[in-house]
Amino acid sequence: MNHSIDWRHSVRVMVVLAILGLTAFPIYWMLVTAMTSSGNLFASPTHLTPDLKQWPVFSKVFGETPVAIWLKNSALVALGTTGLSLLLAVLPAYALSRFRFAGVGLLGLGLFVTQMLPEAMLVVPLYAIFGQLSLLNTLTGLILVNTAFTVPVITWILKGAIDGIPIDIEEAASIDGCSRLGTVFNIVIPLIAPSLAATAVIAFFHGWNEYVFAQTLISDAHLHTASVGLAGFVGELSTPLHSVMAIGLMYTLPAVFFYLLVQRYVVAGMTAGSVKG
Amino acid sequence: MSSITLTQVTKVFVSKPVVDKVSLDVTSGEFLVLLGPSGCGKSTLLRMLAGLESLTSGEIHLGQRRVDALPPSARDMAFVFQSYALYPHMTVRRNMSFPLIMRQFKWWFHIPIIGHLAKRRIEASPEVSAMVDRTARILALTDMLDRYPRTLSGGQRQRVALGRAMVRQPEVFLMDEPLSNLDAKLRSSMRAEIIKLHRKLGGTFVYVTHDQIEAMTMGTRIVMMREGVVQQVGTPRDIYANPANTFVARFIGTPAMNLLLARMDAPQGQLEVGDQKFALPAHLASVTVGGSQDVLLGIRPNSLAIVDPQDKRGLAGTVSLVEHIGADSIITIKLDSVKTAHEGDSESDASDEIMLTKSGYSNLSAGSRVGVTMNLDNASIFSTSSGQRISTDLSVTCPVDFKN
Amino acid sequence: MAINLNNKSGAGRADWTPYLFSAPVVLYLLIFQGYPLLQELYLSFTSTSLLSPAKHVFVGLRNYSDLVEAAEFARVLWTTFIYTVGCVVFSVSLGLGAALLLNAPLRGRGLARSLITIPWAAPPVAVALIFVWMFNGQYGVLHQAFQWVGLSDGMEGWLNDPALALTAVLVTTVWQIFPFASVVILSALQGVSSELREAAVMDGADRLSVFVAVVWPTIRPTVMLLTLFVTIWSLRRFDLIWLMTQGGPIGRTNTLVIELYRRAFTFRELGEAAAVGMVGLTTALLITIVYFWFNVRAERAAGQK
Repeated sequence: MNHSIDWRHSVRVMVVLAILGLTAFPIYWMLVTAMTSSGNLFASPTHLTPDLKQWPVFSKVFGETPVAIWLKNSALVALGTTGLSLLLAVLPAYALSRFRFAGVGLLGLGLFVTQMLPEAMLVVPLYAIFGQLSLLNTLTGLILVNTAFTVPVITWILKGAIDGIPIDIEEAASIDGCSRLGTVFNIVIPLIAPSLAATAVIAFFHGWNEYVFAQTLISDAHLHTASVGLAGFVGELSTPLHSVMAIGLMYTLPAVFFYLLVQRYVVAGMTAGSVKG
Repeated sequence: MSSITLTQVTKVFVSKPVVDKVSLDVTSGEFLVLLGPSGCGKSTLLRMLAGLESLTSGEIHLGQRRVDALPPSARDMAFVFQSYALYPHMTVRRNMSFPLIMRQFKWWFHIPIIGHLAKRRIEASPEVSAMVDRTARILALTDMLDRYPRTLSGGQRQRVALGRAMVRQPEVFLMDEPLSNLDAKLRSSMRAEIIKLHRKLGGTFVYVTHDQIEAMTMGTRIVMMREGVVQQVGTPRDIYANPANTFVARFIGTPAMNLLLARMDAPQGQLEVGDQKFALPAHLASVTVGGSQDVLLGIRPNSLAIVDPQDKRGLAGTVSLVEHIGADSIITIKLDSVKTAHEGDSESDASDEIMLTKSGYSNLSAGSRVGVTMNLDNASIFSTSSGQRISTDLSVTCPVDFKN
Repeated sequence: MAINLNNKSGAGRADWTPYLFSAPVVLYLLIFQGYPLLQELYLSFTSTSLLSPAKHVFVGLRNYSDLVEAAEFARVLWTTFIYTVGCVVFSVSLGLGAALLLNAPLRGRGLARSLITIPWAAPPVAVALIFVWMFNGQYGVLHQAFQWVGLSDGMEGWLNDPALALTAVLVTTVWQIFPFASVVILSALQGVSSELREAAVMDGADRLSVFVAVVWPTIRPTVMLLTLFVTIWSLRRFDLIWLMTQGGPIGRTNTLVIELYRRAFTFRELGEAAAVGMVGLTTALLITIVYFWFNVRAERAAGQK
């Protein structure tokens, strides 16, 4: 009986490896292309492995392109989005979790509806509104609009996390004289730290990855984020491809790395409410 | 109906044997209970019988057939789970028809619509529905056939689980603590139902429990297990009267048997307990032990009696706790001159207390001084070093070396 | 766990706390999403040019009737439909397959489960960048592989081939989202009771039957919700498609959202763009309503018995 199990097991391992190969290949290919000498970029047949001597491309790129400014802008937008989103989401998440009040259903529904809104659709009115508020061409404006799109998901995930905290702890704090707000910040928040970290990652990379608003609401070249800068290279071959891919890699790897760290909490948070509902 | 034979069955998880070289003969038609504390390996042993766990070594035979390498469905055994494991998305009828449908399964049943229709046709066929109806009638489930498990009570779900096992008319019924999830009252009525079922169906039942009352009332034979090793196999009466070691002695019977440090002087026919000397009863006098030696005297709470503290026949002591349980009183006493061997036990700490049951309502209270006399007619003697029973009575089955 | 933490001030007095806690977010969303949405709704009934966005000419339902009559709009709807169905079918089934594979005991299973989320973590712009390069008709590695296998000849990359462009975009999208599906389904699989599986095995069910009788009924609600989310996200997906094909070639990858963007920024007709957007949003809403209606009905049917 052991033999047939081994055979099936081997097949399974091979399929899993194949799937992992597929998921990793494009990133790998980005690396290969970044580390290919200019001469070999259009060689045929294509080289399948990175040329390790080409690692200076990563530092050269900082001199050849505005990538430093782009990454800085992306980081600023991402950080701002994270801070603002978390700040806004904590209290409503608590309210949704602990209270049975008139607006609960409506709020939940509203948050769900925002999942359907395409950024591309709201970009025109927002352009006009921002124009009037003098928020066009500012990173602050980007932060504000990105937050609007991350807050619903983050509120939902934090609500799920707070659901998991027994109410006894809060009741004990209340008996000890802690105000409601105090309880939230001194007791509940520390207890949901992993989910906070996960939602921070979600918010950060929403700001980091965002393209439409960054493209439309900002025209100053020195305020461009990496998403916009990189988008300018998509499909065109005049800029050296290895430099482009090097930028792509520098833009991609932080996102991948941090998501790998927190993916368990992200999924747990997103599925918690929905599975029970 | 065939018997089951287990030969040196062993299961090792990582490096520790969870079931250690267990050999058993299960007579066809008997109600065998696997009894022991949690972690003793009884559930694992049952699952190995079923085919849900593989064996690390050893063999299992059903009649002449060797079955330990066969998949569960080929062993003609049914399993009743502790949590009932009813299919929540199927009605009771379909839950009970499921094994019969699977029996007639063909590979093309997997094709979406056609297979679905084929399965429905089998479910509605005369043989299947007759069997399901008959089983439902036996278990009083006829009114619930079209309901879903989530709408049933615990006892009803239990019966559906039994019904699902019964429809297969298997040679062997395996039950893994089926009554643990029920409340006390329901448990006693279900106990009776299962006993009646066994009598009616006549199959071989192997039943796992940690509850000694279930074991004593239901089993024709009990297999007492501890840490993967069989401690004793015998009828309930046997195990109660002649426990093979101190572990079995204290597991069976509530309150547990008291184990007192004593000195046995066989040549003189005397047993010295505390500051008293007792005459050695006949069944213990025939034990050949040279000279005098320290032993553990096992005496049940109902073999002790309260006497006046001044009474010279009794051992003096102080009452530490009195519990009234309706018809009886349980009195915990710390004897002045006697040490007990209950260390690490859940029923008492190492404070040398004994327990005594007295019928009726006792007016004693904590702190009262009393005397305790012993009736040694049913007492047991155990070795202080190994915990093994010291006895000339060789009818006690002990297949493995005891560890204490 | 929505228990009312009552203050000691006793019954009868309304607790404003939840409303106070929620107000900032509600206000924020109303400003940055609610109001623009209303603007869009209004714009859809006007004819407005991108060049002079303040000048609206009210035209009633004309934008909508134009859409209904236009043949290309039918094509947009069709493309959107194919894209959405393709995304859902392939990402959910691939996700299910991957989840089942990763659920079995394997060495390095934890690592595999983490690694599989890479595509989902990657920024869409970077994904577009690398896939466009890989699909490139002359030098792209995928194109060369296709030629080697015989799937394509000539110099036309998939993204430039009207027949294959949507497939290429679909492949890229599925690559990005099936890991999310697999991780969600994987966590749902943890909820499948092993005793129930064993009961089915004892009853003689083979592996596929165990899946149908035990696993699928347990994970079905999660898979359905997942399907809903993938559907409405597909209706909304912009970055990947725009960056890879801008809706071309000849409008073969023109989904509702792309069409919206083109009408607004290429043709500069904000009113028409808004109308397209409203159609998309209404579709998403309808699908959601239908989903919940079916869900409630199914629950009621099972619960009644």
